Amino acid sequence: MPNSLTYTEQELVLLLRDRNNQAFNYLYDNYSGALYSIILQIIQENELASDVLQEVFINIWRKMESYDATKGRLFTWMLNIARNASIDTLRSKSYQNSKKNQELPDNVHSSSPGQITQLNVDNIGLKKTLEKLKPEHRVLIDLAYFKGYTHEEIAEIEGIPLGTVKTRIRNSLLQLRAYLQ
Amino acid sequence: MNTQEYISSGIVESYVLGLASQEEQLEFERMSSLHPEVKAAREAFETALEKQALDEAVAPPAHIKDKIFAAIANEPDQPLINTSTPSINTMEQAPVITMGWLRYAAVASVILLLGSTILNFYFFNQYKEYSAKYDQLVSNQSQMASANQTLQTKLQDYESAINLIKDPQMAIVKMPAVATSPNPASLATVYWDTRSKDVYMLVNNLPQASSDKQYQLWALVDGKPVDAGVFDVKEGLSFIKMKNIPKAQAFAVTLEKHGGSESPTMTALYVLGKITS
Repeated sequence: MPNSLTYTEQELVLLLRDRNNQAFNYLYDNYSGALYSIILQIIQENELASDVLQEVFINIWRKMESYDATKGRLFTWMLNIARNASIDTLRSKSYQNSKKNQELPDNVHSSSPGQITQLNVDNIGLKKTLEKLKPEHRVLIDLAYFKGYTHEEIAEIEGIPLGTVKTRIRNSLLQLRAYLQ
Repeated sequence: MNTQEYISSGIVESYVLGLASQEEQLEFERMSSLHPEVKAAREAFETALEKQALDEAVAPPAHIKDKIFAAIANEPDQPLINTSTPSINTMEQAPVITMGWLRYAAVASVILLLGSTILNFYFFNQYKEYSAKYDQLVSNQSQMASANQTLQTKLQDYESAINLIKDPQMAIVKMPAVATSPNPASLATVYWDTRSKDVYMLVNNLPQASSDKQYQLWALVDGKPVDAGVFDVKEGLSFIKMKNIPKAQAFAVTLEKHGGSESPTMTALYVLGKITS
């Protein structure tokens, strides 16, 4: 949809709080791709990721009042909504069940199970950046950011001390920032 | 730790990516408000992250946008979720069935209550009627019982009187009115048991005495009057047992003061009879 208007972030937030459809349209056109990308990196299943994206934008519309500009940019807020919704879906019982149900046909029909309708999400976004990290660091970021595990849970999963988990994650994040800039 | 070390500790990235603990978040927000360079570092990372994400954007399916806008059009104020899901529909149907059943039950119970009230009223009236009849029967029964009692007593009197009369050992002394009797029609009879010497009075005809006077029976033993007891005149056939008299030649009755006298008042002599043996 062509939209010649641009807004400053402050204007956009004010209009969204005023339930302005045009501002919401602008928000969707500009950010749905970026958010869809992060959702896909967590969920890795197009149809389900679309459902989550829909839920995320409805939540943004509803929860606009709770956005606090002193704590971060609007995109950061939306990104965290998208990440949380994706991890919730990943952990939901219906998702776990659907995964189990899919295993059988995948094995029957295809030599590359699960890949037919999927994007190769390893080549996009943060995941691509993660490729640059050392493997032992990459797996920690994957568990923490894309799977939503706490540092304590990761220490248990990986069998390494909690202090080590924290240090490695901090170092990985610093490296990520270097790559981003 | 100075500000620069804090910034380069990795906390900025942890905070922005949502990986910081709650304590770390609060600490970071405090540091951001105190130190502009912390805030600047945060904004720099946020901007870089946003730029990278926009660069790597993946276009979602086109129909998603329509769905989202249709959804938000329905809800300025209210959450719209699940207004037409099957589970809601079944929930709406269930109460309808329950209500129908309840309504019949309610109507039935009202009818039963009305019926019960009418029956109660009817039975209460019946009860009052029968209760009155019962009271009347109880009263009649007690009247009959007392009448029966009276008859029984009378019958016993008569039986003992008959036994006295038919007893062959009983001496019967008829006492007609004397010539000077205040009541010439007077008549009385003494039944004298010859074995036990018991004396029984039978009043055939004596006028009623006033309440301050009583009749007194005398036995004449060898010409002297001996007191044989006082008596009152009663209705009906009744034998009055008098004092035991071992020996006598005649019996007589006078009217004396209440309780009797020492010696007979000859002016008030009513009847006299000699023993014929």
